[in-house]
Amino acid sequence: MSIIQLPSMISASPEIFLAGAGMILLMIGVFRKTDGTGVLSMATILCFIVAIIAGFLYGGQENAFYGMFITTSFTQFSKSLILVGSILAVVLANDYMKTEKAQRFEVPVLILFATLGMMMMVSAGDLIALYIGLELQSLSLYVLAAIRRDSLKSTEAGLKYFVLGALSSGMLLYGASLIYGFSGSTDFLDIANVINEQKDNLSLGILIGLVFLISGLAFKVSAVPFHMWTPDVYEGAPTPITALLAISPKIAALCLFIQVLIGPFSAIIEQWQQIIIFISIASMTLGAVAALMQTNIKRLLAYSSIGHMGYALIGLASANEAGISGVLIYLAIYLFMNVGTFGCILCMRRNGQAVEQISDLAGASKSHPMMAFALLVFMFSMAGIPPLAGFFGKWFIFLAAIEAQLYTLAIIGVISSVVAAFYYLRIIKFMYFDEIVAPLDKGLTKNLRTVIYGSMTLVIIFFLAPGTLVSSAAKAAKSLIGVNG
Amino acid sequence: MVQAIAFYAFAFVTIAAGVMVVSSRNPVHSVLYLILAFFNAAGLFVLIGAEFIAMILVVVYVGAVAVLFLFVVMMLDINFVELRQGFMQYLPIGALLGLILLVELFFVIGIWSFLEDGSMLTAVIPVQNITNTHALGNVLYTKYVYLFQAAGLILLIAMIGAIVLTLRSRPGARKQKIADQLSRRSEDILDVVKVKEGEGV
Amino acid sequence: MEFSEFLDTYLVPTAITVAQIFAIIVPLLVAVAYLTYFERKVIASMQLRKGPNVVGPFGLLQPLADGAKLFIKETILPSGANKILFAMAPMLTFILSLIAWAVIPFDAGMVLADINVGILYLFAISSLGVYGVIMAGWASNSKYAFLGALRSAAQMVSYEVSIGFVIITVLLCVGSLNLSAIVEAQKTIWFAIPLLPMFIIFFVSALAETNRAPFDLPEGESELVAGYFVEYSSMTFALFFLGEYANMILMSGMTAVLFLGGWLPPMDIAPFNWIPGPIWFFIKISLVLFCFLWVRATFPRYRYDQLMRLGWKVFLPLSLAWVVITAGVLVAFDIVPTPLSG
Repeated sequence: MSIIQLPSMISASPEIFLAGAGMILLMIGVFRKTDGTGVLSMATILCFIVAIIAGFLYGGQENAFYGMFITTSFTQFSKSLILVGSILAVVLANDYMKTEKAQRFEVPVLILFATLGMMMMVSAGDLIALYIGLELQSLSLYVLAAIRRDSLKSTEAGLKYFVLGALSSGMLLYGASLIYGFSGSTDFLDIANVINEQKDNLSLGILIGLVFLISGLAFKVSAVPFHMWTPDVYEGAPTPITALLAISPKIAALCLFIQVLIGPFSAIIEQWQQIIIFISIASMTLGAVAALMQTNIKRLLAYSSIGHMGYALIGLASANEAGISGVLIYLAIYLFMNVGTFGCILCMRRNGQAVEQISDLAGASKSHPMMAFALLVFMFSMAGIPPLAGFFGKWFIFLAAIEAQLYTLAIIGVISSVVAAFYYLRIIKFMYFDEIVAPLDKGLTKNLRTVIYGSMTLVIIFFLAPGTLVSSAAKAAKSLIGVNG
Repeated sequence: MVQAIAFYAFAFVTIAAGVMVVSSRNPVHSVLYLILAFFNAAGLFVLIGAEFIAMILVVVYVGAVAVLFLFVVMMLDINFVELRQGFMQYLPIGALLGLILLVELFFVIGIWSFLEDGSMLTAVIPVQNITNTHALGNVLYTKYVYLFQAAGLILLIAMIGAIVLTLRSRPGARKQKIADQLSRRSEDILDVVKVKEGEGV
Repeated sequence: MEFSEFLDTYLVPTAITVAQIFAIIVPLLVAVAYLTYFERKVIASMQLRKGPNVVGPFGLLQPLADGAKLFIKETILPSGANKILFAMAPMLTFILSLIAWAVIPFDAGMVLADINVGILYLFAISSLGVYGVIMAGWASNSKYAFLGALRSAAQMVSYEVSIGFVIITVLLCVGSLNLSAIVEAQKTIWFAIPLLPMFIIFFVSALAETNRAPFDLPEGESELVAGYFVEYSSMTFALFFLGEYANMILMSGMTAVLFLGGWLPPMDIAPFNWIPGPIWFFIKISLVLFCFLWVRATFPRYRYDQLMRLGWKVFLPLSLAWVVITAGVLVAFDIVPTPLSG
């Protein structure tokens, strides 16, 4: 009697490696006599790099675990983005903990597990796998948001994130159970088959399920009307964690969004396209308008990221190859802009205390010329001013929308980015045209400098060689549409 | 017939207990009603022949989770009358949400029973002459091994989270160190002194 | 429907089941009564005393006298108590200690309900026992009772974990959750021998699960007066008392079934297999019960942190390791029991 029959799992090797490594790192952290935050951060980054390489080596077209785990060029691309985002977040977090003297070795480990969850989400080929990945990611992030348990704001952020996140998981699960009930399977391929069969006469249950599923996912990408948690959590969580929240989970959730909608539900595009268009318009508009009133820079970035998600969703709404590759390019650029901006926010300290008001930046161009210049570049890029990278991100997205004949969507996108440009420029005005009230502290750590200037360089020189990114994104998009289209 | 009576009895008590969970004034009573609801749900599981799930429901939810619930609720010192003041205010929204869920449930059942090919969607009853436990074991560690392991990771994170957010090392707290106690030797701590008569120590 | 048909399909089976239930419960209650006598006698002789010796020959009527005394006393309901829960708690404890016996096999085929998941049922019922204690402690509205209830809740939940793992190791060796199948699987060798560490862990956890010395902190008469049932009197107290002793017998029965081969004789040879199965079962239960009493007379009460450390830091890793080792050995030597059908 053969008991052990291993399923094929070679293409999941990055994830398996990360899971094992995470547990080993945890043990090292627990049993070390002295604080191991720095060592563990280094090790975590190393693991992420190994995972990226392993992803390229083993992530073929073969599915693992009986189709519950899918790897395509699309997942490879998005996982690489997620891993890069997490690496940068670990760098920022390690630096922050050192400056604040609040070392917790659990932070890199939790980031590792959160990243693992995101990778599992992106690769999900089954509704249960989707939920499990999502939950692994969210649970780690809830803890990370509340990690400064002595700070009222941080615990509040963690709790809010947890309660609202649990609500959204509930919606997602409800939707998933309806879809399961009406299609008879949790497997994406089977669901796709059922939907293809009853394309013209779709049962109401699947549709309602889909709406709930979209609501749950929209919550995770913080798209309007499920954005309420974003500003509070961004403001309360420790800044490097906010950076993580703004980057990796957003990328993962958006890729999952694409994977689900373009995957099993590709046959009923007309049904979900309107919902996505609505969410996209609402997010862009609210992101632009609500940010105008903010005085706290982290809250401002929260609204800005809501807006950015709106733009990215345009690409999804177009539901064509150009749209998907546009989203991927947008996300890649968004990653570096955000990491750089959060790096700059981490520099904002006065008398050893972190400050977060926009007015605190007054006159920063004189006291911190390099940092101010970097922030200027990021702000211009976010506003979409050519020839910076952010411009190209928007450019590809709008092109795709026009190709899909979604003119209204493209026009609203352009208008809202003009409105949004106003608050990005306001930050620049504070830095360059206002007098110093109280100077910020001097001195940046080496890691912080590397992160900020590195991402600044990438954002500036992107227009010189956009080819690599564009072609690999196109390949990724092709793998997705090609398989299911 | 007996099965039908049992079903209606279990179902009725489950629902009644569910109503009492939300409507009873005392939170401890609420938890106890919750336990009653769990228990009757387990009875329903037994009726449909899912005895393993039924027992696990009792062991896990009633035997462990609800105990901790009760533990916490008993020790809370909150004025629940005050907490309930918003009840009427939220009642319409809550009722509406409940109604929507109910209607959707009817959709599900309706489609299953009225659609001609709806019956194919209902779960296939596994091969007879194999027990529940074996049937579950056959798929849980083979087909669903990925989900099983991933769910384990989630539990690990929950544990790390609970420890990270609550464990404080208090300086000055005394701990029993058994190794130290065992390694103590009488030579190290005892001095045998010969005392001469009439002199004292 | 004809009356005779109705009689055949419903009344007769019901009557038989009720008769079977009485056939289990009445001897059980007598056993509980005489367990108290047995306990006092055993501990007395260990402490060089005589024990009950006045009422009846050798004091044999002492349990009846105690019962009568409790029965005619006044039932006191404390004024601050939550009346309904206060009255329900002892009933719950008592009922739970009785319904678990439904699945205990006394001999091959001699069991009230031979269900597939017998051992899980036992585990589920024994994990419910904590509610009687918690409800009693909370409803009494007294600090001592409440402290006792809290201790008990934490203690029972902790030790259930290791009991669960012990049960899993046994199940790995059997391949079925059915209690009769578990006994049958021990025909060649009792599990107490290959799984000796698990047997010891199970016995110690059973002590903790029944709140017996040295884990009797929920009662802790020297610090909490009588713990969770300090406010109880007369028959409500008696129900707790009966429940506790019935639970002891139940846990001994579980030990016998899981590790000592239930109704099976030690060896299947002439003088042993003349004795019928139920008698063997009775002898084994009595032996385990004797150990319960022996421990009580010998060991001092654990401190609370020591109790928790034992449960979480010693038993849990140990039993977990044994689950892994057992599974590994079974797979490595290819002796995994084939699933029994049914």
